[in-house]
Amino acid sequence: MSILDSTRFVVGTTAKEALELSEQTTAHGGPYYGIDTLSAREADPLRYESLHTQLRSAVVAARETARRISASPAIREQGEFVVALYTLAGDAIVLSTGIMVHVETVSRFIKWMIRNDYEASPGVNAGDIFGNNDSFIGDVQPADMMDVVPVHWGGHLIGWIGAVSHVLDVGGVEPGGEVAIIGDRYGEGMFVTGEKIGSNDDLHRDYLIRCERNVRVPIYWILDEKAKVSACLDVRDKVLEIIGKVGIDYYLTATHEFIEENRRGQLARVRSMLVPGHYRGVTHYSSLYEGAVGVQRGAAVDLLYAIPLEMTVDETGKICLDFDGMAESGPHTSNCTVAAMDGGLFITLTQMMGFDGKVNHGAKLATELVLPESSLVNVVDETSATSTSWGVLIPAFSLFQRLLSRGFFARGFLEEVFLGGSATPFMEGGGISQYGSQFGAGHFECASCGSGARALLDGIDVGYAGWNPEGDMGAAEVWEMEFPLLYLGRRTFIDSGGAGRFRGGVTFASIWKVHNSNDVTLSSKEHSGRVFDQAGIFGGYPAPTAHRHVAVRRTDLDQRVANNEPIPHSMSSDGEHIDVLQLLKGEVEVAEGQYASAPFSEGDIYTHAYGSGGGYGDPLDRDPERVAADVSNGMVSARAARQTYGVVLTGDRANPEATEELRDSMRRARLADAVPTQDWLASERARVLASDFAAPVKTMYRSSMTMSPAFAAEFRWFWGLDETWEIAR
Amino acid sequence: MTQNEKQIRDLLDGTLPWSQLHQAMSAYKESGRFQTYVRILQERMSWPERILLPLTDRLYIVEKDGHAAVKCDCGHEFGDYRENWKLSALIRVRRSEDELREIYGPFACHPDWMELREFLCPGCGALLEVDAAVPGYPVTFDFLPDLTTFYRDWLHEPAPTWLEGQPAPSSKAWASR
Repeated sequence: MSILDSTRFVVGTTAKEALELSEQTTAHGGPYYGIDTLSAREADPLRYESLHTQLRSAVVAARETARRISASPAIREQGEFVVALYTLAGDAIVLSTGIMVHVETVSRFIKWMIRNDYEASPGVNAGDIFGNNDSFIGDVQPADMMDVVPVHWGGHLIGWIGAVSHVLDVGGVEPGGEVAIIGDRYGEGMFVTGEKIGSNDDLHRDYLIRCERNVRVPIYWILDEKAKVSACLDVRDKVLEIIGKVGIDYYLTATHEFIEENRRGQLARVRSMLVPGHYRGVTHYSSLYEGAVGVQRGAAVDLLYAIPLEMTVDETGKICLDFDGMAESGPHTSNCTVAAMDGGLFITLTQMMGFDGKVNHGAKLATELVLPESSLVNVVDETSATSTSWGVLIPAFSLFQRLLSRGFFARGFLEEVFLGGSATPFMEGGGISQYGSQFGAGHFECASCGSGARALLDGIDVGYAGWNPEGDMGAAEVWEMEFPLLYLGRRTFIDSGGAGRFRGGVTFASIWKVHNSNDVTLSSKEHSGRVFDQAGIFGGYPAPTAHRHVAVRRTDLDQRVANNEPIPHSMSSDGEHIDVLQLLKGEVEVAEGQYASAPFSEGDIYTHAYGSGGGYGDPLDRDPERVAADVSNGMVSARAARQTYGVVLTGDRANPEATEELRDSMRRARLADAVPTQDWLASERARVLASDFAAPVKTMYRSSMTMSPAFAAEFRWFWGLDETWEIAR
Repeated sequence: MTQNEKQIRDLLDGTLPWSQLHQAMSAYKESGRFQTYVRILQERMSWPERILLPLTDRLYIVEKDGHAAVKCDCGHEFGDYRENWKLSALIRVRRSEDELREIYGPFACHPDWMELREFLCPGCGALLEVDAAVPGYPVTFDFLPDLTTFYRDWLHEPAPTWLEGQPAPSSKAWASR
């Protein structure tokens, strides 16, 4: 039986039939299920909108209620949680706020169950609960645990509800949710691989026992599970109540029209806000693990990736993102599955363009992702690890934001220009807690970094993370309860916003003292390492890299406190020196890039800096008074005010005459230093011919050229190289 | 001057009060924004060529003698818009520790892994783009608009007749120009 009986959707269709029909109709960009008329909308717009509002309210309210009964600070403090309602075929109808990246990953999980005949075995019955955290089934990383419950009406399956949270520990070889020291998936932690984990609206006892015995802090996992199940059941009950009022036929017709309406809306929005054509950019990611503590052989290498992106906007308004030229996936943890890329696209699109009207799977149908097989953005070897895939997703999709911003600017919508994402280095820890028990958790204060700049405003200071638009760092006191760490400081990180006429938002850094424990392992992951990953635009500079970690063991902190001497509270007070190194004595450990520490003891100090975004426009055009205010507020150093912005300060104000004089001389100096690009290319060609690059750079080019004949051809063409030219080993 | 035009002028000047800017962010996008935007920009230029599309806060695609060229607000011309204007610009490359430290202090990229390419206008010295690139990476061609489709099908406006005969830029080929 078809789900579409000429003019209406039919109860009793199997999920498999519904999915096949959905995919058939949209394979070539056609209307969702061939819906050519929004009949429910046209017949009674108020009834139609009322249903949408009721369903949207149901998922938002369920999320807000459930996070209040959850124990994990990631859900409670940061809102690392999303709830969505799906069609029978697994397409999102309405979604809550929160980590909307998972609206599409859950969709993948549901479709995976459908394709794997779950309706036949293990059966999809009313009251069942299904769980998954396997990225290859439908997820970003194993720390994202998703629960799905089916919706039945009159004994027939008619849809699904999904909820996802980022759990604080997965029980991997490294404490926390994002194991980074391994080269394959065997060590990422406990996997729930698309399993039936509950029935009769309750989690199975054997599943709960498994959780209790396989993760470091089971109370978080289990209470988060209960929050997710509660949210799903809450939505299910409301949906059934609503269907009781509007009728099942109307519900099915209208909810599918919501998706088709959103598909059309997305295309129309593109045509009204962008300019058709080709947009290009490249960003970068590096992972530094050579010689790092505890890293598996094979994963203990320094890696560099270029992430190229071509965005094509066609005449219909469809956006195609093509990652051709991406290097291959590898024996590390930053590999991205298609589900992860789907999710990255969805959450970015939702923030940049889907902020009004309906937001659901329809927007996804109006876009296309081209993901080269076996590349870092489409890992196909299912033994691969994916636990730090956000390290790649963040730069990849903030590049998408930058490309969209070029289109918004060209069209005149300056208020929409937003360079978006910032690297959000993730600190995790484990060992023995301050209470004497085992602990392992991710520290989610990273959900509040600096954003990239806007065309009319600076970026958001200490308030943005592309993956969770709520941007909340959580109370310091809450984190002090969860980790055996006391804050010496949690302050804005000077000079961290990319310089520009409008600067990137300033981020922050934390300094902790290990408290009441002699066994605390800390790690940091998912940041840009030795390269900038957040570029500026129109003359704005990239944000700095947040890749230096400083620890001091066996410090003289207590003695300094007793002597009333200064102690460090920020990463850098002057933009030139690292405060911990200036103000503390002890065994200093300075590490670059991804960091995994040997255990710390009581009193040891650890600093952690977060990421920010790029600047907009020439920094020499920035209003000098804004620079002066930034210096007064500790956002910009006096050094950067002078060297980057060309501002001369007199007290806490800009000196207009001296500033203009300095800026004139800087403009003259940079022109004097500049050469015609063609001349530079001619001299640079010799370097390329000699493959005169650092080893990771050569590895990167070799991989990209092997993976993509088009990139190889373009590279050779650009540098005027022979067709057979290869980069030297 | 209509309220809408005043708002766009204020938007361009960066003087729109936050309350109105916030409202503009949340509001539906008006269909005539582009035409008003370009008209205001055109008034502000000292040169006569018609602006077809703003590319950056300094660069414009303009109609020039039967073709479309990239032009800086200072009047300097970079050539056909289907060529990468960066290749006709001036460049300053930061690739030493000292050069990077000047901007970034201790939080710079590693000079063996990445360089900053600063593209300047030969006419006025304005800093037009800063590309962060791995050494040896081809210079990125940021944006090649499909002007024909834009004018004919999206704006439903008369476009220069010579655009009509111009094929829509195709993927890949354009990057190699």
